[in-house]
Amino acid sequence: MIWKRQIPILIATVIGFATLFGWFIDHPGIESFVNDDATQWYDILASFAIFLGALNLMKLQGKKVFKQQSGWQYSIFAIGGFFFAIVAGFIYKGNDAVEWGVHVTSKGTLFKWMFDYMFTPLSATMFALLAFFVASASYRAFRVRNLEATLLLVSGIIIMVGRVPLGSSISSWFIMYLMVLIVSIAVNIKLKDKKITFSTFLGGVLIVTIWGSSLGWPIDQPGLFYLPILQDWIYNNPNVAGARAIMIGIGLGIFATSIRYILGIEKSYIGE
Amino acid sequence: MDKISDYILKAGTIDRRWIFLIIGLAVLLPLFFPLGLPIRATNATQKVYDAVEALEENSKVLVSFEYGPSTKPEIHPMAIGLLRHLFTNGHKVFVTCLWPDGQFMADEALDEVAKEEFDLTYGEDYVILGFRPGNEAVVKGMVSNIRKLYTTDARGTLVDNIPLMKNINKVADFDFIFSASAGYPGTVEWVQYASDPTGVPLSTGTTSIMVNDIMPMVNSGQVKGILAGMPGAAEYEALIGTPGIGTSGMDAQSIAHLVIVLFIIFGNITYFIETQRSKKY
Repeated sequence: MIWKRQIPILIATVIGFATLFGWFIDHPGIESFVNDDATQWYDILASFAIFLGALNLMKLQGKKVFKQQSGWQYSIFAIGGFFFAIVAGFIYKGNDAVEWGVHVTSKGTLFKWMFDYMFTPLSATMFALLAFFVASASYRAFRVRNLEATLLLVSGIIIMVGRVPLGSSISSWFIMYLMVLIVSIAVNIKLKDKKITFSTFLGGVLIVTIWGSSLGWPIDQPGLFYLPILQDWIYNNPNVAGARAIMIGIGLGIFATSIRYILGIEKSYIGE
Repeated sequence: MDKISDYILKAGTIDRRWIFLIIGLAVLLPLFFPLGLPIRATNATQKVYDAVEALEENSKVLVSFEYGPSTKPEIHPMAIGLLRHLFTNGHKVFVTCLWPDGQFMADEALDEVAKEEFDLTYGEDYVILGFRPGNEAVVKGMVSNIRKLYTTDARGTLVDNIPLMKNINKVADFDFIFSASAGYPGTVEWVQYASDPTGVPLSTGTTSIMVNDIMPMVNSGQVKGILAGMPGAAEYEALIGTPGIGTSGMDAQSIAHLVIVLFIIFGNITYFIETQRSKKY
């Protein structure tokens, strides 16, 4: 039991404290351990983790095929792909002029062929499909249900159009006319009075037209209605505020969890 | 009025395959028939350009490739644009990869720019150190001692035999870092473990979806600007005066975004009609 429980906890505690102190204590021994040795240990462990991950992948996929669980046909491709990569990486180079190791990225080798003509198109296709699903999902799910959803939708539209060159070609005056139209529709829905709606619309159009004429219709003025400036503001203010809050929250969470690991309170890594 | 509403509601139940087809066309057509929409650089992109311009000639620049084929359309144009800018200004480029597929991307980008366009010499003007597993531990290891982590480069040459690697022992020996990143490990790790502790200035180019995470660091000055997705790449290409893949992709992205926005608006009109009707009956 001592090897399965106390010793691993002791190792985690000692290494944890040593790494933590490495940031605060100016001692060459600790500094060298934290900066050099510990990181190299991590590299070695990470390499073993890849090996274990590969074995686990094969075990799970193999089990699926043998037991003919749902979707077992796909597992055949996973196993086939795995062994093909093993062959291309360790057994057959496909180009004798290239050294082992370098063959992975060299032209004319089987591994490079696999990367260029199998992995790259498949990977790019999977990512590209997102565009289609985003379009379909936004059409069906992006609804003005409440205030929060409306804010999300409006800022989403501003970012989407403002980020691309098309956004810089849309005059802020066009956006202002659009605003007048939207406000008029809102007034009509709320008050259901044609006279008030018409007055709002006409008043808005007149104000925008007189204002635009007096300024000479500059495309990016007033900046409040120019999409690229507006999207910049959204990125730099509300977005940064939210992102910072999330980052600080995550940081505190990492700190608390790390302390739990170092003090031996958190023991999930030994299966408890 | 009811007839129009009926038509809109009927159109609202459109099969999603029609949406796929429209999006496909919205992306494809501008690629064949470019619109040439004007590109305006944002502050974040301008900051990256200014940071590179501020470097003295012959500066040592560490460029890290942390993306793969899936995010290549977004990040690769900015990596190419940055390499062009660096080589035009006479800087030396050192490439590392925190992602295994990053090395393929680095090879491709340097073949195109360093070899074909600038006819530069490997080992004297640029070097690819390659991929090492370990994520942030790799960054930390490089901050401490590059030579312990990289005994050979990506081509199997001993690092000690590479002329460009002379006097390069740790991250602090570089004048500038650029992280071309599509996720973890990437820009955040370079900021936390390399740029902040050593004070070496860092800029980045990321996918659009990552911009939210990096923006606080740009605002605080920890990251000197950000190339945000394909628009960022196109803006950078415009700044260096060499239109490339980023610029040609912008028309397609503009139209695709517009189509999605129109879909959202149309979807909301049908939603509004539906709710009004349900209230009525």
